[in-house]
Amino acid sequence: MSAVASDIQRLREDLRNRGATVETTELPAAERIERVKETFRRRLDANMATYLETCLHCGMCAEVCHFYEATGEGKYTPIYKVEPLRRFYRRGVAPMGTLRKLIMRDITAADLDEWQKLVYDSCTQCGRCDMICPMGIQISPMIGVMREAIAEAGMQPAENKALAREVLERGTIMGIGPEDYRRIAGELRAEGFDVPLDKPKAQVVVLMSAMDAVLFRSAIVATARIMNRLGLDWTIRTNAGDAAVFDWTSGDERAKAAVIRKIVAETVAAGAKTLIVPECGHGYAAMRWNAANVMGTELPFEVLAISEFVGREIQEGRLKVKALPAGKSVTYHDPCKVGRWSGVFDEPRNALKAIGVEVREMESHAKTNYCCGGGAGLVLNERATQLRQGAFRIKMREADATGAGSVVTACGHCRMTFVAGAQDANWQKPIESLVELVAANLA
Amino acid sequence: MTLLEFARGPGMQWAIWIFALGVLWRLVGSFLLMRTRDLSKPKGTAYAKAGMRAMIMRSIPPHELEKNITFQHLTGYAWHLGFFAVLLLFGPHVPFFKQFLGFGWPTLPNIVVLVIGGFTLAILIALLFRRLTHPVMKQISAPDDWISILMVILPLVTGFASYSHLQIFEIRYETLLGLHLLSVELMLVWFPFSKLMHMFYAFPARYQVGASMEHKGVKA
Repeated sequence: MSAVASDIQRLREDLRNRGATVETTELPAAERIERVKETFRRRLDANMATYLETCLHCGMCAEVCHFYEATGEGKYTPIYKVEPLRRFYRRGVAPMGTLRKLIMRDITAADLDEWQKLVYDSCTQCGRCDMICPMGIQISPMIGVMREAIAEAGMQPAENKALAREVLERGTIMGIGPEDYRRIAGELRAEGFDVPLDKPKAQVVVLMSAMDAVLFRSAIVATARIMNRLGLDWTIRTNAGDAAVFDWTSGDERAKAAVIRKIVAETVAAGAKTLIVPECGHGYAAMRWNAANVMGTELPFEVLAISEFVGREIQEGRLKVKALPAGKSVTYHDPCKVGRWSGVFDEPRNALKAIGVEVREMESHAKTNYCCGGGAGLVLNERATQLRQGAFRIKMREADATGAGSVVTACGHCRMTFVAGAQDANWQKPIESLVELVAANLA
Repeated sequence: MTLLEFARGPGMQWAIWIFALGVLWRLVGSFLLMRTRDLSKPKGTAYAKAGMRAMIMRSIPPHELEKNITFQHLTGYAWHLGFFAVLLLFGPHVPFFKQFLGFGWPTLPNIVVLVIGGFTLAILIALLFRRLTHPVMKQISAPDDWISILMVILPLVTGFASYSHLQIFEIRYETLLGLHLLSVELMLVWFPFSKLMHMFYAFPARYQVGASMEHKGVKA
């Protein structure tokens, strides 16, 4: 087993053990159901109502879902995964709800047991189903509501529960906090890399990622090299916390909001104009799309993914890179939350082309990209191992079909899934980080 | 009052009223719910253009998504087109619309419409069979799905029977025609309570997904 794959396994075990010891009083069934309904009531709006009114039960969403494709089991149909939400809407909030109550049964405790597995183990909220629905239904945001409701009822998997609890009680993620960032920065300085920490004022704030701190320290080095080469006035604010907003995936809105508020407060305190999120899809989506809504106001700074930033700087001629000798081919895996959720498709590809790499596209790429199978926290969910591996094999086949020498991605979460999946499938394809590849070829 | 007289008179009037009020109730009830304002900085702001684009382009998905759904995709559009061709371009139907609208329009030869109707019915029966046997369809199907497909099949079957003057169980032509009209009325009454409402929701939903993805810089 590779060192990174064994570190990932250790992380999973640690989370599971901590999750198992999280003291939670199991709520009575009636209260669990009530909490789920209360979340639905709070989250349902006209947009969601339109989607829930429109579904034809045509089943097309299943045919583009990697979990259905990998198993052939009907219960993995994306729209089926939001059935309790649909049932609640149709019996209550919807026009004619009163009539439907006469013929449609209510949500039961058994439903919650069944659906907590469906939404946490067999959906990465990748949004591929959102691209096919002939009615235009966006299912992935509704999965988010389902997860939030299940979390409110205290029914998340142990690993997710442990992550949320850690954020709320200790302010760390995967055991990593401000002290660790200071230690890592010190170690990197000793190795000759300048990592400016906690400058009172800076134009650019760069977030740290616990995933990088634990597994991919080379990505932190690469980011620092690029920022320094650009001569930017930048800093890492140790109290900003972490880009790895796993709570975005656990459904725990309080934990997610706590992470977001800390990051926004520190970025504002630094007077920064730009916040750069490292290779972390969830962190980027959380800061780019959720942060303003959590804060209740527009953000006074722009939010960029590192892949978006690097591609832009190269394209506009500020970041000079040297071209590799001809012959290196790669395929680019679009992280769902950076690509399909956030429209970052061209910048990473432009960066790769600038360093002279031949980019061979998978059949499903950019907005129709297949998820790696580990998104939305699935990579850390032991219970989902078999499903995740089945989904990963679809990705593997598409990557193999390109004949490219390696897979490049721009998300630590995806990278973890690729490393663990490759280990499981004895797949030899190298997995590379976009930011590291660029940093290794600075002119 | 004969069955045909009832179907042509009060039956049709009641069905149309229930249809119109039911559709209005359901549309207004759902569209009037609160809308959440997104405070995040948009990547694209051409919401109307993106929404209208999605209204069209959702019918033409990219190959890598479409390849697994070709059968449902093509049959789905084919039976809808067939159904509306029979409804609107069949000679005996146009005078019915003319009495409400005051004007008519050209029709297709009856034999062409009968062939289209036959294909439409065959597709619907194939889709019904698929819903009964496919693992996904078995998992997600609800009473609404079964009843709705029946409601669409019935007017086609009774239409064939009355047009061809079939002497089923020695039922008179007038009775068959009455049953055909009643099957249409049944569909109209069922419509606002069922998934047939997608006729009114589909394009707003497509517009919505187009605009929502435009905000994030993605073409839906």
